Amino acid sequence: MSRVAPLRSARPQADPAHPHLRLDPSVCDGVGICAHLAPDLVAVDSWGYPIVSGTALDSKSLRRQADAAARACPRKALHVQ
Amino acid sequence: MSHHLHLADEGRAAGPRPGPRLLDNAAVLPRHGTESLTGVGRQDLPAHRAAHGPRLSHLGHLGDDLVAAMETVHLTGRGGGHFPAAAKWRSVAAHGPGGTVVVNGAEGEPGCAKDAVLLQTRPHLVLDGLVAAIEFIGATEGVVWIHDGAWRTAQSVSHAIAERIAAREGDPPIRVIAAPDRYLSGEATGIIRTLEGGPTLPRWVADPARPWSEGHRPVLVNNAETMARAGLLSHVGVDGYAPTSLLTVINDTYRAVVEVGPDETFGDVVASTWRSPDGHAPQAVLLGGYGGSWVAWERLRHLPVDNAALREHGLSVGAGLLGPLPANACGIEESAALLRYLAGQSARQCGPCLFGLSAASSLVDDLTAGKLSRSGRSTLDRYVGEISGRGACRHPDGALRMLTSGLQVFHDDVHRHRKGRTCNAPNHSVMPLPEEGS
Repeated sequence: MSRVAPLRSARPQADPAHPHLRLDPSVCDGVGICAHLAPDLVAVDSWGYPIVSGTALDSKSLRRQADAAARACPRKALHVQ
Repeated sequence: MSHHLHLADEGRAAGPRPGPRLLDNAAVLPRHGTESLTGVGRQDLPAHRAAHGPRLSHLGHLGDDLVAAMETVHLTGRGGGHFPAAAKWRSVAAHGPGGTVVVNGAEGEPGCAKDAVLLQTRPHLVLDGLVAAIEFIGATEGVVWIHDGAWRTAQSVSHAIAERIAAREGDPPIRVIAAPDRYLSGEATGIIRTLEGGPTLPRWVADPARPWSEGHRPVLVNNAETMARAGLLSHVGVDGYAPTSLLTVINDTYRAVVEVGPDETFGDVVASTWRSPDGHAPQAVLLGGYGGSWVAWERLRHLPVDNAALREHGLSVGAGLLGPLPANACGIEESAALLRYLAGQSARQCGPCLFGLSAASSLVDDLTAGKLSRSGRSTLDRYVGEISGRGACRHPDGALRMLTSGLQVFHDDVHRHRKGRTCNAPNHSVMPLPEEGS
């Protein structure tokens, strides 16, 4: 997806049964690898920082993208939880 | 200047009213700082005990009873979030025993002074609440968190702790910690991070109900007013408790901190605590804090000072700021100045806050200068959508709430500025901001 709706609602809680890709924005440096590895979950804002979708990782494809993005992040800012 | 003020309920028919309140008068402070306070005297330990009774234990079921009472009176967090206090105490207690209870008196909002007033005049109510929380949770220590440079507040709290030690009250150890003097120094995750040996900066927490780090002891953080209310409730009980709010009202040369009941409207409060510089009613009020909402006066004046009722209108008492904007001031220029300040107070950790707020602030400055194009305005709207909800803390959300409510409420001012003119409002900088560079 090219643009992900901004996360206005209450933040999702960690839910082991329905994992999400979650971002710690305070350590993210906007490197941007995640947007390439998880194009269905991560869009980039006007300043190059990732906007992470609140979608549950309920397909193999989404889960694979999320794991790849979390592994590749040089700042360890992404978590699958 | 205290002759401008009277208690908001003075002269009313005396009906049955719950007993002691937090303050028995309005407190008056300068627009900047909390080093000079008149109108309310300090209650020392003997006066406090004479008014409210002896130190109570909140170990075991005694603590359970207090938390049940907090639930009954719907005590919520007065730092701005209004999260139910009883639920927070129980949630932290479930991870105990051990840990720390923090009274948050940093009050980073430059307009607000209610916590300073409580800590300077009713320190023992706050400390009674703190000690009750420590005993209920089984914590090992208490902390009073204030900002650096608040000397009068630090002095009053330190003196109160010494009074209690001398009187052998049997309190657990309580320390005073001075935080950096910044807007975000009172952000709860930044307090916890500091106690764990880190910097005083907000941090992202995966689970808001468990904001401390793995391997660290639990921490309960409550605003000073919340703690004072818990302390008062422990003495007077549910039937004697007055469900009031403390508000800081911004005036042209001073600020007033007043205690207001839910039976009063914002119209009543402004009539008794605000001095109009131009003889007219305010055009709007900044409610809650600098990250609160602008509300048109015609909408707000009839609403009660009652957070549950305000919530139905999408509003909140927040941290208790009441900033009336005089008719002769420009709401957009005021909003632009506040946004500039809030952008500068970013903890500079999260990209959307660090870059997004300053980008939005530049566009709003263009707007006030009459230089914002139609496409610039749509860029501003896009930025608001992109930044919302994307910080580790709520700082950017608050700044945008202030901005978007201002763009709505001051629609006419926006229109005037966009036509390439600037307005000639004579009244500037209504909301106090710290001196540049300090």
